[in-house]
Amino acid sequence: MTRELILAGYAAAATAAVALEAAAWRSGPPATLGATLSAVLRRRPARFLLLAGWLWLGWHIFVRVDWR
Amino acid sequence: MNDVRRTAAIGAAGAVAVAAYAWWAVGLPAFSAAASAGVLGAGAAAVAAGARLRARRPSGPAPATGAAGVVPWFVLAGALAALQLVAYLGQPRAEHPTLSYLANVALDTQAARAAAFVAWLAAAVDLARR
Repeated sequence: MTRELILAGYAAAATAAVALEAAAWRSGPPATLGATLSAVLRRRPARFLLLAGWLWLGWHIFVRVDWR
Repeated sequence: MNDVRRTAAIGAAGAVAVAAYAWWAVGLPAFSAAASAGVLGAGAAAVAAGARLRARRPSGPAPATGAAGVVPWFVLAGALAALQLVAYLGQPRAEHPTLSYLANVALDTQAARAAAFVAWLAAAVDLARR
Protein backbone atom coordinates (compact mmCIF):
# COMPACT_ATOMS: atom_id res chain seq x y z
CA MET A 1 0.00 0.00 0.00
CA THR A 2 2.79 2.39 0.90
CA ARG A 3 4.47 1.67 -2.42
CA GLU A 4 1.31 2.53 -4.34
CA LEU A 5 0.86 5.77 -2.39
CA ILE A 6 4.44 6.86 -3.05
CA LEU A 7 4.20 5.99 -6.75
CA ALA A 8 0.90 7.90 -6.95
CA GLY A 9 2.67 10.88 -5.36
CA TYR A 10 5.43 10.80 -7.98
CA ALA A 11 2.83 10.53 -10.74
CA ALA A 12 0.90 13.48 -9.29
CA ALA A 13 4.10 15.56 -9.15
CA ALA A 14 4.89 14.73 -12.78
CA THR A 15 1.32 15.60 -13.82
CA ALA A 16 1.50 18.89 -11.91
CA ALA A 17 4.80 19.74 -13.63
CA VAL A 18 3.29 19.12 -17.07
CA ALA A 19 0.21 21.19 -16.13
CA LEU A 20 2.36 24.09 -14.85
CA GLU A 21 4.47 24.08 -18.01
CA ALA A 22 1.36 23.97 -20.20
CA ALA A 23 -0.20 26.87 -18.27
CA ALA A 24 3.02 28.85 -18.62
CA TRP A 25 3.08 28.36 -22.40
CA ARG A 26 -0.56 29.43 -22.71
CA SER A 27 -0.41 32.75 -20.89
CA GLY A 28 1.33 32.48 -17.49
CA PRO A 29 1.88 32.95 -14.63
CA PRO A 30 3.39 30.52 -13.75
CA ALA A 31 6.72 30.95 -15.49
CA THR A 32 8.05 28.12 -17.60
CA LEU A 33 10.44 25.70 -15.91
CA GLY A 34 13.24 27.08 -18.10
CA ALA A 35 12.52 30.67 -17.04
CA THR A 36 12.39 29.58 -13.40
CA LEU A 37 15.74 27.82 -13.69
CA SER A 38 17.24 30.86 -15.42
CA ALA A 39 15.98 33.12 -12.62
CA VAL A 40 17.44 30.83 -9.96
CA LEU A 41 20.75 30.43 -11.80
CA ARG A 42 21.30 34.20 -11.95
CA ARG A 43 22.17 34.04 -8.22
CA ARG A 44 25.72 32.82 -7.81
CA PRO A 45 25.26 30.64 -4.66
CA ALA A 46 22.19 28.99 -6.16
CA ARG A 47 24.08 28.46 -9.40
CA PHE A 48 26.93 26.74 -7.55
CA LEU A 49 24.54 24.56 -5.51
CA LEU A 50 22.43 23.54 -8.49
CA LEU A 51 25.38 22.63 -10.71
CA ALA A 52 27.15 20.80 -7.86
CA GLY A 53 23.92 18.97 -7.09
CA TRP A 54 23.57 17.98 -10.73
CA LEU A 55 27.10 16.53 -10.76
CA TRP A 56 26.37 14.66 -7.52
CA LEU A 57 23.17 13.24 -9.04
CA GLY A 58 25.10 11.87 -12.02
CA TRP A 59 27.72 10.33 -9.75
CA HIS A 60 24.98 8.83 -7.57
CA ILE A 61 23.15 7.26 -10.51
CA PHE A 62 26.05 6.21 -12.73
CA VAL A 63 28.81 5.32 -10.25
CA ARG A 64 27.18 4.23 -7.01
CA VAL A 65 25.06 1.46 -8.50
CA ASP A 66 26.14 -2.03 -9.49
CA TRP A 67 23.45 -2.46 -12.14
CA ARG A 68 24.68 -5.71 -13.76
CA MET B 1 32.05 21.24 -48.65
CA ASN B 2 30.03 24.29 -47.68
CA ASP B 3 29.82 25.60 -44.12
CA VAL B 4 26.41 24.09 -43.37
CA ARG B 5 27.51 20.59 -44.38
CA ARG B 6 30.79 20.94 -42.51
CA THR B 7 28.95 22.05 -39.35
CA ALA B 8 26.51 19.14 -39.69
CA ALA B 9 29.39 16.67 -40.17
CA ILE B 10 31.20 18.00 -37.09
CA GLY B 11 27.98 17.83 -35.08
CA ALA B 12 27.32 14.23 -36.16
CA ALA B 13 30.89 13.19 -35.34
CA GLY B 14 30.59 14.87 -31.93
CA ALA B 15 27.31 13.08 -31.21
CA VAL B 16 28.83 9.71 -32.11
CA ALA B 17 31.85 10.44 -29.91
CA VAL B 18 29.65 11.42 -26.94
CA ALA B 19 27.50 8.30 -27.38
CA ALA B 20 30.59 6.08 -27.54
CA TYR B 21 32.03 7.74 -24.44
CA ALA B 22 28.72 7.28 -22.59
CA TRP B 23 28.64 3.59 -23.50
CA TRP B 24 32.19 3.17 -22.19
CA ALA B 25 31.70 5.26 -19.02
CA VAL B 26 28.54 3.49 -17.80
CA GLY B 27 30.28 0.14 -18.33
CA LEU B 28 33.07 0.91 -15.86
CA PRO B 29 32.99 -1.03 -12.56
CA ALA B 30 30.61 0.49 -10.01
CA PHE B 31 32.14 2.33 -7.04
CA SER B 32 35.54 2.47 -8.79
CA ALA B 33 37.80 5.50 -9.05
CA ALA B 34 37.81 5.09 -12.83
CA ALA B 35 34.00 5.32 -12.93
CA SER B 36 34.04 8.40 -10.67
CA ALA B 37 36.65 10.08 -12.87
CA GLY B 38 34.87 9.09 -16.08
CA VAL B 39 31.48 10.39 -14.94
CA LEU B 40 32.55 13.49 -13.02
CA GLY B 41 35.15 14.44 -15.63
CA ALA B 42 32.54 14.36 -18.40
CA GLY B 43 30.07 16.25 -16.21
CA ALA B 44 32.64 18.94 -15.45
CA ALA B 45 33.47 19.21 -19.17
CA ALA B 46 29.75 19.60 -19.95
CA VAL B 47 29.42 22.36 -17.33
CA ALA B 48 32.50 24.09 -18.78
CA ALA B 49 31.03 23.86 -22.30
CA GLY B 50 27.78 25.38 -21.07
CA ALA B 51 29.64 28.18 -19.28
CA ARG B 52 31.53 28.91 -22.49
CA LEU B 53 28.28 29.20 -24.43
CA ARG B 54 26.98 31.53 -21.71
CA ALA B 55 30.05 33.77 -22.00
CA ARG B 56 29.62 34.02 -25.79
CA ARG B 57 25.98 35.08 -25.48
CA PRO B 58 25.44 38.80 -26.08
CA SER B 59 24.92 40.48 -22.71
CA GLY B 60 21.75 42.40 -22.00
CA PRO B 61 19.10 42.80 -19.35
CA ALA B 62 17.76 39.46 -18.15
CA PRO B 63 14.06 38.89 -18.78
CA ALA B 64 12.04 39.66 -15.65
CA THR B 65 10.52 36.64 -13.91
CA GLY B 66 8.17 37.65 -11.11
CA ALA B 67 7.83 35.80 -7.82
CA ALA B 68 4.30 34.78 -8.73
CA GLY B 69 5.71 32.95 -11.70
CA VAL B 70 8.31 30.90 -9.86
CA VAL B 71 6.48 30.13 -6.57
CA PRO B 72 4.41 27.24 -8.01
CA TRP B 73 7.62 25.51 -9.11
CA PHE B 74 9.16 25.95 -5.66
CA VAL B 75 6.02 24.52 -4.04
CA LEU B 76 6.14 21.53 -6.39
CA ALA B 77 9.86 21.01 -5.74
CA GLY B 78 9.23 21.15 -1.98
CA ALA B 79 6.40 18.62 -2.19
CA LEU B 80 8.55 16.29 -4.27
CA ALA B 81 11.45 16.64 -1.82
CA ALA B 82 9.13 15.82 1.11
CA LEU B 83 7.79 12.73 -0.68
CA GLN B 84 11.32 11.66 -1.52
CA LEU B 85 12.34 12.07 2.14
CA VAL B 86 9.40 9.97 3.34
CA ALA B 87 10.38 7.23 0.88
CA TYR B 88 14.07 7.47 1.82
CA LEU B 89 13.35 7.05 5.54
CA GLY B 90 11.12 4.01 4.98
CA GLN B 91 12.19 0.37 4.64
CA PRO B 92 12.24 -1.96 2.80
CA ARG B 93 13.28 0.03 -0.25
CA ALA B 94 11.02 -1.87 -2.67
CA GLU B 95 8.00 -0.82 -0.57
CA HIS B 96 9.32 2.77 -0.21
CA PRO B 97 10.82 3.52 -3.64
CA THR B 98 12.97 6.63 -3.96
CA LEU B 99 13.47 8.29 -7.35
CA SER B 100 16.99 6.87 -7.63
CA TYR B 101 15.65 3.37 -6.86
CA LEU B 102 13.11 3.77 -9.67
CA ALA B 103 15.82 5.14 -11.96
CA ASN B 104 17.95 2.06 -11.29
CA VAL B 105 15.04 -0.22 -12.10
CA ALA B 106 14.42 1.65 -15.36
CA LEU B 107 18.11 1.84 -16.31
CA ASP B 108 18.97 -1.84 -16.07
CA THR B 109 20.61 -2.19 -19.49
CA GLN B 110 23.82 -0.60 -20.75
CA ALA B 111 21.95 1.05 -23.65
CA ALA B 112 19.42 2.68 -21.32
CA ARG B 113 22.16 3.82 -18.94
CA ALA B 114 24.22 5.26 -21.82
CA ALA B 115 21.19 7.17 -23.14
CA ALA B 116 20.48 8.53 -19.65
CA PHE B 117 24.13 9.52 -19.31
CA VAL B 118 23.96 11.52 -22.57
CA ALA B 119 20.74 13.20 -21.35
CA TRP B 120 22.45 14.04 -18.05
CA LEU B 121 25.38 15.64 -19.92
CA ALA B 122 23.03 17.61 -22.20
CA ALA B 123 21.12 18.90 -19.17
CA ALA B 124 24.42 19.93 -17.55
CA VAL B 125 25.31 21.99 -20.66
CA ASP B 126 21.85 23.56 -20.66
CA LEU B 127 21.94 24.43 -16.94
CA ALA B 128 25.42 25.96 -17.18
CA ARG B 129 24.61 28.10 -20.23
CA ARG B 130 21.63 29.76 -18.48
